[in-house]
Amino acid sequence: MKVSLFITCLGDVFYPYVGKDTVEILERLNCEVVFPKNQTCCGQPAYNSGYHKETKDVAKHMIKTFEQSDYIVSPSGSCVTMFHEYVHLFDHDKEWQEKAQSLANRTFEFTQFIVDVLKVENVGASFSKRATYHTSCHMSRLLGVKDAPMKLLENVKGLELSNLPNKEICCGFGGTFSVKMVPISEQMVNEKIEHIEETDAEVLIGADCGCLMNIGGRIERQGKPIKVMHIAQVLNSRG
Amino acid sequence: MPMKIGDVEFFGRVDKGLRNSFMRNAVVSAQERLKGAKLNAAEELGDWEEWRNLSEEIRQHTLENLDYYLEELTENVCKQGGHVFFAQTAEEANEYITRVSKEKKAKKIIKSKSMVTEEISMNDALEALGCEVIESDLGEYILQLDDHDPPSHIVAPALHKNKEQIRETFSEKKGYKKTSKPEELALFAREQLRADFLSADIGITGCNFAVAESGAISLVTNEGNARLSTSLPKTQITVMGMERIVPTWEELDILVSMLCRSAVGQKLTSYITGLIGPKDKGDVDGPEEFHLVILDNGRSNILGTEFQSALHCIRCAACINVCPIYRHIGGHSYGSIYPGPIGAVLSPLLGGYEDYKELPYASSLCAACTEACPVKIPLHDLLVKHRRNIVEEHGKGTFGEKLAMRGFSLAASSPKIFSMGSKSAPTVMSPFIKDGKVKKGPGPIKPWTDIRDFPEPSKQSFREWFKKRDKGGDQ
Amino acid sequence: MKNGAVHNKEQFLNQIAKSLGRERRTTPVARPQWKHQPQWNVLKNATEDELLDVLGTQCDRIHTRVETTTCLELNNMLTTVIEHFDAKSIVSWDDPRFKEYGINDYYENAGRAGVDVHIWDPSIGEKNIIISERADVGITFADITLAESGTVVLFSDNGKGRSVSLLPTNYIAIIPKSTIVPRMTQATHYIHKMEQENGNVPSCINFISGPSNSADIEMNLVVGVHGPITATYIVVTDR
Repeated sequence: MKVSLFITCLGDVFYPYVGKDTVEILERLNCEVVFPKNQTCCGQPAYNSGYHKETKDVAKHMIKTFEQSDYIVSPSGSCVTMFHEYVHLFDHDKEWQEKAQSLANRTFEFTQFIVDVLKVENVGASFSKRATYHTSCHMSRLLGVKDAPMKLLENVKGLELSNLPNKEICCGFGGTFSVKMVPISEQMVNEKIEHIEETDAEVLIGADCGCLMNIGGRIERQGKPIKVMHIAQVLNSRG
Repeated sequence: MPMKIGDVEFFGRVDKGLRNSFMRNAVVSAQERLKGAKLNAAEELGDWEEWRNLSEEIRQHTLENLDYYLEELTENVCKQGGHVFFAQTAEEANEYITRVSKEKKAKKIIKSKSMVTEEISMNDALEALGCEVIESDLGEYILQLDDHDPPSHIVAPALHKNKEQIRETFSEKKGYKKTSKPEELALFAREQLRADFLSADIGITGCNFAVAESGAISLVTNEGNARLSTSLPKTQITVMGMERIVPTWEELDILVSMLCRSAVGQKLTSYITGLIGPKDKGDVDGPEEFHLVILDNGRSNILGTEFQSALHCIRCAACINVCPIYRHIGGHSYGSIYPGPIGAVLSPLLGGYEDYKELPYASSLCAACTEACPVKIPLHDLLVKHRRNIVEEHGKGTFGEKLAMRGFSLAASSPKIFSMGSKSAPTVMSPFIKDGKVKKGPGPIKPWTDIRDFPEPSKQSFREWFKKRDKGGDQ
Repeated sequence: MKNGAVHNKEQFLNQIAKSLGRERRTTPVARPQWKHQPQWNVLKNATEDELLDVLGTQCDRIHTRVETTTCLELNNMLTTVIEHFDAKSIVSWDDPRFKEYGINDYYENAGRAGVDVHIWDPSIGEKNIIISERADVGITFADITLAESGTVVLFSDNGKGRSVSLLPTNYIAIIPKSTIVPRMTQATHYIHKMEQENGNVPSCINFISGPSNSADIEMNLVVGVHGPITATYIVVTDR
């Protein structure tokens, strides 16, 4: 099965190791991973800020970039959700809307792809830590991917996973919200970290680099001993 | 009290909200309590999504045919001997209400809780006439006694107050002598207000839903104050937002069921009352005269636009009760009597972008509101549409932001520029990096690093790694 | 009855039609067959006894006492319930069912025992309200009863004053078992039919679910605010 990886901006520049783990897992599951090199950003920063004309240009570029791909997989629920959002972006442009719909149909979040398309729930990982999982809003509410990451994590050998209290509450990232509304975002991420601490977890696992950058950045600023990891890192662990 | 609350600018209000630790604890505990109650109530109903679909369908159909249903309502109210006044603006509504009050020589007016009368500042208009206007909802009564403190939640208006503050208010304004136990406070309010109910000349209510087929209005309460306001005074005035209507009693069932469950996690509140015009001939209690004021006040400007679904709102506050922003900043920070996600959508529509330009940005777009809404208003999408309006139609984006977004779009549509950008990231950022972290970032990263560390750009980007690895390069 | 006055209707409704981008809609709009109708599935096929159980369980949650009795034992039950309130005064609807169920005998006995019993009497006008306001107990029949929500539905009429279920400190509803239906759906369907067939419904229809209450002070539930402080349902099982 040929899979086109959409790495996302954060994944490309700041968290390349997440991409590497993603590639390795997919290859172990017998996928041929390709990287369409013309890919850029999903356009979410502009879209959520209200710059929709600008977003359309980006969207068209991404639609073209992935036009030939059978499956597009990305280790970020939020960016995949944005691909799905293209359909509405072209509400008044039938031709592009059809293309956008086709892109959406072929695009999957990483854990969703493994569980729902590859029908695999155990990727053979082992990771002996106490951890908790952060449910990203876009991935769970808008994309509707709730069970896949949990199924995969439940099958990780040695992983002691505890439920995160108030897991449905946003961590306060929200893209530009995190820099436009700092005082509010700060309280939100503080509360999130309090709940993480309640679980006594050593590791916080997530499936969206944006949320992880926010929670992780705040944890580091507070000097707390909690490690933040992307789910691909955990699923590619053998220790 | 007008829709707009106070003159402090947005971040000033937020700052005040964030410092109010009592309010914040109260909101968090209310949200937690309601979350459980609502989950149970939704689960018990069976297929919640089916109920939401039905509710949305009803609201859509009713709004698409709003002129027809309002006409049917009007005919049926008149047939029963009730009067109907259509008010385009708040001023027209207040003018009519004060005229009726003058004709009735009203001295005392008792009110049951109504957001729409807050929206039009009706109390001020009546007080200017010399009428004593008494709020009978316990929460509103508390706020009114406390020098007209504005409501901070559309279902629980005094959510931001604690019982000790309430005891002080009662004692200062009404000579209350007992403790701050909620039971004793409520009993005191009951005794005080009983006398007012019995002596009021006019009862004024809002309207949860009008029923077109019968010319009925319905009122949903737990306290029984709406029943008292409509059983005892000789004249009843009901003010309704023009969109609060259903075709028949059968649709009332659905929307009331959704309202009670979404608002307070109850199957039905203690009292759902359907009232049709003045009392029947030979009845003893109930109003002799009934006036229905149907208000536009900016709503027709929302009809037929991409924001039309905002008019589906049944004022249950489910979106407010799950909102992580409201959770921390509380209701007053929104500067509008309509707070929370629905407030952030509605306030700019009814009150304009000038006063409410920040509200659409006071959201992380987490979509908890959209998921909670019983009538399926895509609240977070509407907030994004507001943002688009603000930058594209009102040109309110800052110059720097516009430039940045154009640059972004250009770069993100052109792989060459984009990869140049990502390649240069480590170099650009290097002066700011200490121990592998950015503690004080430049430009747009500055607000980020005010409270968090920013990661160091990787020396080798993913795309470089992929290109160089043994297995194969780019597609 | 003289028709009421209407002000500013045309201009107002024209504005709505204009916003909706079409001509005024004046010919009757057919109410669509709703695509989703889950309301009819709630407690579908429940037997009378099952509905009574549901009513009882729900009433526990809404601070409402439920007693079951037979028509023969009804007056004994009333004695027991009302004794508990130490009532000096009772106000009751004037409704033929009180005679039919023999409750009038109870009223006569209570009157002889020194309790003020007032039967709603339109001929004395507002005195009824004053009496109700001072009464310890108000008694009505239920016209329809909703199992799911623990609700009694009351249709107002000349002898069926609104104040009886509202002003006294304690409220008692007599519920013939045969009036119990699954939920509000059946009651509103009945009212809808009444409107269609008679072109008229009572001027006041109350759905009452237990005693009045409020959670306006720190979200603490206080039972008994403006309406009754207690509510008791007496179900007559053989009616």
